[in-house]
Amino acid sequence: MEHIVLFAGPMGAGKTTAIKSLSDIPVITTEAANSDRDAADKPTTTVAMDYGEIGVTDEEKIRMYGIPGQRRFDFMWRILRDRADGMVLLVHNDAPDPVNAMREYMIEFADLCERGGVAVGVTRMDVGPGRTLTDYTDVLERERPDLMVPVMPVDPRDRGHMELLLMSMIANLEMRAEYGKVLA
Amino acid sequence: MNALTAAPVALHKDPSVIAPATTALHDLTDLIPSVRYATVLTEDGFEVDGVPAYEEDKLSSMASSLQGLSEAVVRELTMGGAQYVIVAADDGHVVQLRVPGQQLVLAAVFDLDEPLGNALATCRFAVERFATALTAR
Repeated sequence: MEHIVLFAGPMGAGKTTAIKSLSDIPVITTEAANSDRDAADKPTTTVAMDYGEIGVTDEEKIRMYGIPGQRRFDFMWRILRDRADGMVLLVHNDAPDPVNAMREYMIEFADLCERGGVAVGVTRMDVGPGRTLTDYTDVLERERPDLMVPVMPVDPRDRGHMELLLMSMIANLEMRAEYGKVLA
Repeated sequence: MNALTAAPVALHKDPSVIAPATTALHDLTDLIPSVRYATVLTEDGFEVDGVPAYEEDKLSSMASSLQGLSEAVVRELTMGGAQYVIVAADDGHVVQLRVPGQQLVLAAVFDLDEPLGNALATCRFAVERFATALTAR
């Protein structure tokens, strides 16, 4: 069995770092020099996708695709969204409006959230005062009461954090698949 | 912020890059009138200049992804450096290549009746002149 999981979120949220933390293989990246240092003060940015893999068992593999954070690359979002069956959404808590960023991604990827699993990881929660986890869950409960979305603080550099988030998403995905079978 | 700590101007906003980029695009379109669209972009997809405009910066964004993916494939296959990218379609060609020594890419879309070799050679000529102009700044 294979799962295809998108890592989505705004530029600077930690998507490439998260995939590098998780992947069992050297991550394939498409990083280019970042010209927009006002949007995110980092030297490089992903322009097409990142790709990594986790071998869960001999028969089960997770393929991870990181998508570019900038909307100008939304054609890549569509290409990769259509083949994914789950999404790890990362938002950085020190962004100007991270809760709204999460909300916008949930809308943009609504069809994936409805047919697959989704989990939200909030990064950089330790960098000064920002929004609380309740701020995120309140919006999700209000706008998507039909979805059960795990939300947790994560450090994308920490494999343990990212495994917990990813496995929460996979559990969400598999539970929904089972629930769908029961309903059918 | 004082002059010592001022951030460098982004390439796509730098007049000393935009002017020779415009010249390079004119070189290309003067030599090959069958150019449908052409753009000079930063490697992360910002348009420096383009002729004619194509859905704002969409061609630049797509060319950036295509360049990134192509170079990732070449890197993974340990085939040295990527020299150029060609997409041959039913109704035309896309040719793109890096500006030597710069974090910039030229991408051009040609009509189908333009010989591919001529399109590629002319793009190479344009980026080499462009690189020389940037070095002389």
